[in-house]
Amino acid sequence: MGFLAPWFIGAGVLAAGLPIWLHLLRKYRTTPLPFSSLMFFDKRPQSSVKHRRLRYLLLMSLRIALLLLLAFAFARPFLSRASGTFGGRRLLVIAVDRSFSMRTRDRLARAKEQAIGALSRLGAGERGEVLALDSQVEVLAQPTDDASQLRAAIQSIAPTDRRSSYAELARNLRAIAEATRMPLEVHFATDAQKTSMPPAFGDLQLGPATELVIDSVASGTEPNWGVESVSAPAHIYDPKRSRVQATIAGYGTNAAHRTVSLVVDGRVVGTRDVDVPVNGRAAVEFPSLESPYGFHRGEVRIDSADHLKQDDSFPFSIERTDPRRVLFLYPSGSTRAPFYYRTALESAENAGFALDVVPAEDASGAVLSKFAFVVIADARPLNADLEQRLRAWVNAGGAVLVTLGPESAALAHVPVSGEPVQGTRYSPPEGERFRTVDDADQQHPALKDTNRFAGVEFYQSVRIDATGDHVLARLSDGSPLIAEKQMGAGRVIVFTSGLDNVANDLPLHASFVPFVVETARYLAGDQQRVTNVAVGAALDLHRGAHGGAADVIDVTGHHLLTLAEATTARVYTIPAEGFYEIHDAAGKVWLVAAHADRAESDLTPASPDTLALWRETGRAPVSAGPGAQSVESSGKLEFWRWLLLLAVIALLAESLVASRYLATEKELQHEPDRAAQFISAGR
Amino acid sequence: MIPRAEYRNRFLDPAVLAGISHLDLVAKTVVDGFISGLHRSPDFGFSQEFAEYRAYTPGDDLRHIDWNVYARTERAYLKRYRGDTNTQITILLDASASMGFASHAVSKMDYARYLAGSLAYMAHQQRDAAGLIVFQEDILQYVPPSGRQGHLARMFHAIGQSAPALRTDFRKPFLHFQQFLHRRGLVIVISDFYEKPGAIVSAINPLRARGNEVVLFHVLDPVELKPTLNGPAMLIDMETEDALEVSAEFARDEYRSRIGAHVDMLRSEAKGAGLDYFLIETDRPLDAALREYLTIRQGRM
Repeated sequence: MGFLAPWFIGAGVLAAGLPIWLHLLRKYRTTPLPFSSLMFFDKRPQSSVKHRRLRYLLLMSLRIALLLLLAFAFARPFLSRASGTFGGRRLLVIAVDRSFSMRTRDRLARAKEQAIGALSRLGAGERGEVLALDSQVEVLAQPTDDASQLRAAIQSIAPTDRRSSYAELARNLRAIAEATRMPLEVHFATDAQKTSMPPAFGDLQLGPATELVIDSVASGTEPNWGVESVSAPAHIYDPKRSRVQATIAGYGTNAAHRTVSLVVDGRVVGTRDVDVPVNGRAAVEFPSLESPYGFHRGEVRIDSADHLKQDDSFPFSIERTDPRRVLFLYPSGSTRAPFYYRTALESAENAGFALDVVPAEDASGAVLSKFAFVVIADARPLNADLEQRLRAWVNAGGAVLVTLGPESAALAHVPVSGEPVQGTRYSPPEGERFRTVDDADQQHPALKDTNRFAGVEFYQSVRIDATGDHVLARLSDGSPLIAEKQMGAGRVIVFTSGLDNVANDLPLHASFVPFVVETARYLAGDQQRVTNVAVGAALDLHRGAHGGAADVIDVTGHHLLTLAEATTARVYTIPAEGFYEIHDAAGKVWLVAAHADRAESDLTPASPDTLALWRETGRAPVSAGPGAQSVESSGKLEFWRWLLLLAVIALLAESLVASRYLATEKELQHEPDRAAQFISAGR
Repeated sequence: MIPRAEYRNRFLDPAVLAGISHLDLVAKTVVDGFISGLHRSPDFGFSQEFAEYRAYTPGDDLRHIDWNVYARTERAYLKRYRGDTNTQITILLDASASMGFASHAVSKMDYARYLAGSLAYMAHQQRDAAGLIVFQEDILQYVPPSGRQGHLARMFHAIGQSAPALRTDFRKPFLHFQQFLHRRGLVIVISDFYEKPGAIVSAINPLRARGNEVVLFHVLDPVELKPTLNGPAMLIDMETEDALEVSAEFARDEYRSRIGAHVDMLRSEAKGAGLDYFLIETDRPLDAALREYLTIRQGRM
C-alpha cells in the first residue's frame, strides 16, 4: 500500500491530537467553584466522574477516528498491484541507446547484448517492449510475450547520428506506465553520457512504479577529439576573400598535436597543424576557398586516433556563384543615397551583391528577373508600366525596398506596396529637433545587429498608413519607420525616411551597414535556404504558394521522398550526417550539409549519484514492505472513497453520541426556575 | 401603567433592592410597599390601628393628642394604638462565610441584611424595641433592644457592617446571647443553618424555654436547593475551603435529596421544639418573610 499524498498523514496525526487534548486535558480540568458548604457532598461522586469519562472516551474515539479517516482519505492511499499481490503482472521495457556516441568502440554491440540478456527477466505470462533512444524514442517492438520478437527488435537496432535525450526516454516511460497501468521494469542499455541529461532534473521523473535498471556500457572516461564546429560561407563570391574556420575540441584528452585538413569534394585543399590543449579547444582557419562554380561538399577533418571516428570530420556545404545583382532606382540628380548604400553593401564581408544604379526615369525597360531585389530610393511617382511590372514581379516572389525622402510627400501612395501617404513630418531645430527610434523588432532578420538604431536622429519622415503591414520599427512619435508588406510570394519593405544623410544621420552610424546588408540578405531570400544544419533539423520545402514537387537526394543518388511526400511534404527532417540535395517546391535547388550534434563527442559519463537519483524517481513515495519498491504498480487501486464512506459513518455515530450528551446538558441547563451557572460567591 | 400589585412586588424584588445602596432606604421601601399592599387584606390587622382614648396627663407626648376631640370637648385625649405594646424583638443575623454565596445578583448575606433591616424598620414603626446580634463563630456585634429615636439608625449601621466570614457555630453565640436576654420577646434567627438540625435546635431551644417566641428564617440560595452543573466541577467549601470534585449527576440527584432531607428535618425538629421555621429563597420577594413576622406578631398582641 502506498500514498499519493503522504503529507496528509502527518497532518492527520496532528489533528487527532486535538480531540485528545479536548477530552483528556481540557474537558476534565475542573474549574474550582465556591459553594456554601460541602456537608451534603462526599467522596462517592468520583466514581460517577470516572463513569462519565468512560462515556466520553467513546466520543473521543469516534472523533479521532473521523479525523484519521479524513486524513487517510486525503492522503489518497492505494494498493499496489505488485507481482506478489496482483498475479505478477508487469511490463518489461528494454531501451537501447543508439545515439551518435554509441558508435564509440563496440558500445552499441555490448548494449544490445545486455538488452538481450535482460530478456531473461521476462517471466511467464509477462510482456516486454523494446525502445530505441536517441533524440526521440522509437518503439521497435510493441508489448508482447514473444521473446524472439523482442530479441529480433533489439538486434535490428543501428546507430544514428542524433543526440540522446534521457528526458525523452523518461517522458515516454511515464506515458507507457500511464497507458498500460502496470508496473514497469526498465532495462536501459546506454553509455550514460553526461550530456544526455536534461538541464532540469525534474524532466527525468519516472512513473510511480517504475524500476529503472541502467546497464552502462561506458568504461570510464573515453578520450575523444572531434571537430566541434565549422564556420564557412554558404556562398562564395570571391574565393580569395572566403575563409573557413574550424574549432577542434578534446574531451578527456591530454595536450596533443593534430593535423587538420580542409576537403572539398573529396579533395584535400588545405592542411593545418594545431596544438589542442588538455581537455580544451583550438581554432583553425583556412584563408581562401578555391572552388569552381556550383555546389560543393566541404569537410574539415582531423587525425584523431581515437575510438569515435565519426566526429573527426565536419561536413559543410558551399556554393560558388556570382554576386547577386540589385537594381537601385534613384531620382536623377540625387547621388547621395546610392553612394551611401553602395558603400555599406560593399563593406560587408562576402555580402555577394552587385549594385546596378539606375535613375528611376530610365528604368522602364529593366529586366527584373535578373535582380535579387530592387531598391527604390527617395521614391517619386514611377512609370505606370514599371510599377505594374514591379508589382507582378513581387507577387511572383520578388522583393523591393522603398525609401521615402522629401520628394515622396507628393505621392498619394507608396510605390508598389500602395500604402497611403499621409504627409511629411519635419522636426524643426527650434522644436523637438529630432526623433529617435522608439520600438524595433530585434528578432526580425532584417534588423539583425542594428541595435535598435541607437543614437540615430531622424529629422524628416513620411507618414504612411501602415494598416495591415508588419511594422518593424517606429519613431518616437509613434509613426512607422520600417514596415513590411507581404505581396503574394514576395515582399516589400518601406523605410519612411531617406538613405542620403539628409533626412537622418543613419548613414553615419554603426547600425547603417547591418541594416543595409541584412535587409539585402532578407530580401534576397538568404534566410530561406539553410545549407548547414544538425542532424534532426527540419528543412522547409517551401510548399506555401507553389504547387511543384519537391525532392531530396542523398550523396548516393537515392531519392529520399516518396512520390506522395514529394507533392505534399512541407518539411524534410534530416535523418543522418551527410549531404542532401534539396529541390524545393518553388524549383530552387541547393545543397545541405548535415552534421551530428557535437555534444555527443563528449563521452564523459554522468555521475553514479545522478543516475541513482534518477532511478529513485521511479520508486513509490511510501511502500508497504521490503522489496515492494521495485515492482509497485502504476495500475494502483485507490480506495479513498471507502475511507470517506467510513468517515461519514463515524461522523453519524459521533453525532448520535454527542447529541445524547448534549441532550443531558440541555435538560440540566433548563431547569424550570433556575439559572444554570454559579456566579462568583465572593461578595 | 404598571398594575399596583406588580409595582409593589417590583420594589420587594431582591434584585431591585440590590440597586439601592442604603439599607434604611431598602427597609423603608420594603416595608412601606408591603404595608400599602396590606390594605386590601382582611386577614392581617394594621399594627397602628386605633385602640382607645386616654386622658392626657402631664409628660405625655403632645403629638399623640387628638386635636379634633380637643376642639369639640376642650379636653385633651391621647389616641392609643394596638401596636403600642412594647414587644422586644431581637434579630440574630448569621454572618458566616457561607452566607456570601450567590447564584444571582443577591447573595444570601444581602438578602439577610434586607430582611433584618426590614424587620427592624417594621418593629420601629410599631414602637417595638428591636435589637441585633451579628454572629459567626462568636458574637460580632450586639445592639441591645431599644425603641428610642435614633436606635433604628444604629441598627441599620450594624446590619450594614456585617460581612460574611469564618464559620458558623451556633452554640457559643447563643450561649452568650442568653446572658444579654433579660426580657421575654421575639427572637428572629436569620441563617443558612449549615449545621445538623439537632445541634441547631438544641442550641436555640433554651431561648424558647425561657418564654421567647423564636422564628428561624432559613435563607438559602435557589442553587443550593437545586444545584446544576454542566460537568464535573471542583467545589470549594466557602467556610472550610475544603475541595471536592463533584459530578453533575450527583449534584442533580443525590445532593438535592440530601438538602431536602436536611430542610425537612430542621423544620420538623423546630416544630417539635416550638420554634417557628420559615424557609426563604433569595430570589423571592421579601413580603413572604414579613407576613410570617406579622403573623407571629399578631399572635403576641
